[in-house]
Parts: sequence; structure tokens; C-alpha cells
Amino acid sequence: MSAKIVLGRVALYALLSAVTFLVCFPLVWAFFTSVKPKEEIFRWPPTLWPESWTLENYRALLEGKQAYFQAGAAAASGPPPSAFFLDWFLNSVIVTLGTTAISTIVSTLAAYSLTRFRFPGQRAVPYLALVGYMVPSIIFVFPMFLVMADLRLTDTLFSLILGYVCITLPFCMWLMWAFFRGVPIEIEEAALVDGASRLRVFWEIVLPTAWPGIIAAAIFTLIVSWNDYLFGRVFMNSMENLPLTVGVMHFFDGTHVDWGLMMASSVMMTVPMAVLFMLLQKHLVAGFGAGAVKG
Amino acid sequence: MRGFRLSDRQVGILFMLPFLVTAGAFMVWPVAEAVRLAFYSYNPLRPDDLTWVGFENFERIFNDPLFWESFSQALVWTGWSIVLQTLLGVGLAMLLHVALPGIAVFRGLLLFPYIVPTVVIALNWRWIFNSEIGIVNHALVSLGIIEQNIAWLSTPNMAMTSAVLLNVWKYTPFVIICVLARLQTIPTELYDAAKVDGAGAWRRFTDITLPMLKEVLVVVIVFRTIWTFNKFEEIYLLTRGGPGTSTFNLAVYAFEEGMANLRLGVAAATGVVMIVLLLAGTVVYVRVSGFGQEEKAT
Repeated sequence: MSAKIVLGRVALYALLSAVTFLVCFPLVWAFFTSVKPKEEIFRWPPTLWPESWTLENYRALLEGKQAYFQAGAAAASGPPPSAFFLDWFLNSVIVTLGTTAISTIVSTLAAYSLTRFRFPGQRAVPYLALVGYMVPSIIFVFPMFLVMADLRLTDTLFSLILGYVCITLPFCMWLMWAFFRGVPIEIEEAALVDGASRLRVFWEIVLPTAWPGIIAAAIFTLIVSWNDYLFGRVFMNSMENLPLTVGVMHFFDGTHVDWGLMMASSVMMTVPMAVLFMLLQKHLVAGFGAGAVKG
Repeated sequence: MRGFRLSDRQVGILFMLPFLVTAGAFMVWPVAEAVRLAFYSYNPLRPDDLTWVGFENFERIFNDPLFWESFSQALVWTGWSIVLQTLLGVGLAMLLHVALPGIAVFRGLLLFPYIVPTVVIALNWRWIFNSEIGIVNHALVSLGIIEQNIAWLSTPNMAMTSAVLLNVWKYTPFVIICVLARLQTIPTELYDAAKVDGAGAWRRFTDITLPMLKEVLVVVIVFRTIWTFNKFEEIYLLTRGGPGTSTFNLAVYAFEEGMANLRLGVAAATGVVMIVLLLAGTVVYVRVSGFGQEEKAT
């Protein structure tokens, strides 16, 4: 390698590292803050590398300790918000998994049906789904709240699942439709001619080949339902029923903010997504390729 | 067993049914409800009092200075976000396209912000942009860029700047992914030929890369414009629309009307305005992308 190429590479790596540092910094800083003891968090100038490491912020979250500086009305009425942290976490897990199961199953069945059978208005459905996918949640949320109120479902985790199914279904539908359209039907037809039933063909031939599409749809749904704030905010009332995203915003209720607790919950909220990202990065990019994830 | 077999038609209907029921009950109904509500006065605390008011809700918002303030702030927020995302996205995609050992690690790290929950980013932003003990002020002061701490989230311009930065941080990966996917399909022979002809790096970028990226960029920009314009959480969680109303956009306006002022009719009317703008955006999208054309051709 000539000196010029080596220099060019060094420059490229330097540039990439600088950008990556800037991009990752807010998350790294949240982590460092979460492992610092209180007095170090409030020190000025701040210590870049934590001088002493502690898990007290995480322990406070898991044990539901009073927030450090909490005062005033929030502290006076009932247990501190951090007492509900584990409830919130569990709620988010339940809602996310429930939504993902429903959205992927319903969209897979419908997309298969749409690409293999004839219906009136067949061509319009995927395009309508795409339009539905562009409609922002803020438009859905109030009328859907009224629908939930009519069904007496408000303040239940099930209402959240239904809400998230409704905002994720259009895109999952579109994704699976695009996917099934690309799967050749010759093998299915051959099996049908050989006397296999349609259900058996679907179960034994179609589903195994559909996994990449299903995984992409599932990832999309997982991300949307884990990250949403708006529906949880409008649908839910009781502290113990909140999803994680709505719950942690209650840490701002006091007159002072406990940044250590805040950053610890920030880290705990990100970790499931980080694990998912590392495990499924390949599929994630495939999903993007199939038609751009909502954002 | 033969008697129990479902016919193809029955299977087709059976598979379609859950989608039709869910879509009908939880998508079509709410949207119809949203449009209907826009013509009523409705307070959720008095559920029996649903009064037809015609176009009064629309008159109300069009005469409300806050609506227009929100609208123009939404334009500022969208404009800056899109320009920065596109420039950074293309630049970073070019960087990440270079074949270097270990590039996959950089790709992974630079795409990660996209799936970080907005609540997490908002919390982190409030912390690093904290006016007294935030690390951003500390860095800028020690580098000598500013002399005094900036009150990022409590001065109007700076709050908008922070919100735009948050949006750029979270959604530039979307642009990177789309551009990167396109870059990987450009045949390298084109560049080799241009090199032989003596074209420099900049010429190769403007003459080959940019024209090749044009299509995907148009699609990405239209999509991102529509979504950014309607964003709620990115602004609300960071600034609650404040200080004052200086970071309101239409989504925050609709939310405040519905949630704080309990005027669901006005919120719904704002929603209808947003749907109309959205449809206009979609028409632009269909025009520029030729979407659906290939369907007719086959």
C-alpha cells in the first residue's frame, strides 16, 4: 500500500470515529450518569469518566425508592413514581409482545389471502394500507379513545394493544403483501395438484418461506409499540397501568429532577432495543429495504 | 376427511376476516369519527353533550393566532430538520459506503439512534442540554465557543434548535439506510470509466452519484417531510411546546386542544386540516415517484 492510501484510510477512520463519537455520546453520557453517585452527578465541572461507580440508581428504581429530590405534591400523595417502575416495565413488555403477535398474524394471513385469492377491491387494499400508514397517530388517538371508552376498555393494557395494532397493521400488511407477491406460487400449486389442502400448503410450504418477511414486520411492530408515548398518555389513567414511556415522564413531577434515576431508567429502556438491534440487525436492514420503516 | 375441507374461497375469506374486522373497527371507524367530531363541540367530561356546530371549529382554529404560529413553527421545524438530515445522511452514507475493514461496526453504531425510544432521547437531551449542569454547555464553554451558559430549553430559538437537533439525531439514520442501499447498486464501472477520463472525486460525485441518488432522495425527502411535519412526541417530550408556545407545531396544538382544553372537536378539526395537508403531500409523492405506475404496466 502506498503512503497516500494509508494516509487516506487513517483520515477516513478518524472522521468516522469522530462522527460515531458524537452520535453515541448522548447514550454513553446517560450510562455514565446512571452509574455515578448523586454528589458526582451534580459536580461542576462534570467528571467525564466516573470517579466512583455505583449501582444505587438502578437499585432505587428496582426497589422503588423515593426520588432523591422529590418534594411537594408528588411526594405527598401516595408512593413515589419509582415504586411503579417494575410494573411499567412489565406492562410495556406485555403490550409490546401482544401487539407484535396480533399484528404479524393478522397481516400475514390477510396478505397471503390478498395475493392468492380474488376479491373485489383487491388492488386498492395495499395502497389504502400505505395511506393509513402515513396518517399520524395524533389524528387517530382521540377518536380511538372515544371508541375505547364506548367499549369500556380505557385504562386497560388491552386498549393499548388495540391502539398499537391499529398503527402498525397497515405497514405490516404492506410489507407482507410485497413479500408474498415476490414468492413464486409454482410449488404451492404443485402441492395443491398433488392433493394437499390449502391450509396444509399454507402451514408447511408458505410459512417457512415467509419468515424473513414476518421477522421484518415483527421488528417494526416491536419498535413502534415499545417506543410509543402518545397512546399510553391518552388511554391510561392509573399509575400501575402505565407503559414505561409514559411512566418515566412522571419522574419530572417533583420540584427537582433526579438525573441519576432518570438516566438509569433511560438505560433500562434502551437495553431491550439494543439487544434486539444486535441480534436482528441483518433483518432490520432487509425490512428497511422492503419499504422504509415508519418514523 | 374430505367433507371437512375448506374450499379455497372459504380459506381466502377466513384469512382476510381478522384484518377486515380490526381495520374496520380500529382504523376506519376512528378516522370517520375524527372527521365527524370536527363538526361537533364535545367535551369528554360531559359525554352526553354532543352539539352540532357546523364549521365553527374550523373558523375557530383559522382565527386562532396560536394555530398559525404553530403552523409556521412546524414549517421551520420541518425545513431545518429535512435539510440537515438530507445533507448529513448523504454525507455519512458516502462515508459508510467505503470498503474498509470494520466498517460494519460503524454502520451499526450510526444506525442505532433510529430505534432508540423518543422518550429516552428526550430525557437524554434534557440532561445534556441542561442550562446549569449540562455537558453541552460545559463543552462549549471550555472550548471557548461561548462565554456564558446557554439556556437551551428555556429560550425560544434555542429550544427549537434543540428540538431540531433531536430530530436530526434520531432520523438521519433513515436517510443513511435508504441512500446506502441505493449506493450499493451503482455499478463501479461507471466510476472507473470516469477516472480514466480524468474526472476528479467531486466531478464523479456530481456527475454520477448525485443523478443516481436523485430518485431515492426525492422519495426520502417527501416521506420525511410528511412525517416530520406531523411529529408530536419529539417536540412535546422535549419542550412541551414551550417555552410559552414557541415550539408548538400542529400536532402539539391538536394535543393541547384535546387533552388540556378538552375541546375534542377543535382537536379533530386540526386533525382534518392535517389530513388534508397529508393527502396533498401524498399526491406530490405519487407524482414524483411514479408510484403505482408499474402496476398498470403489468
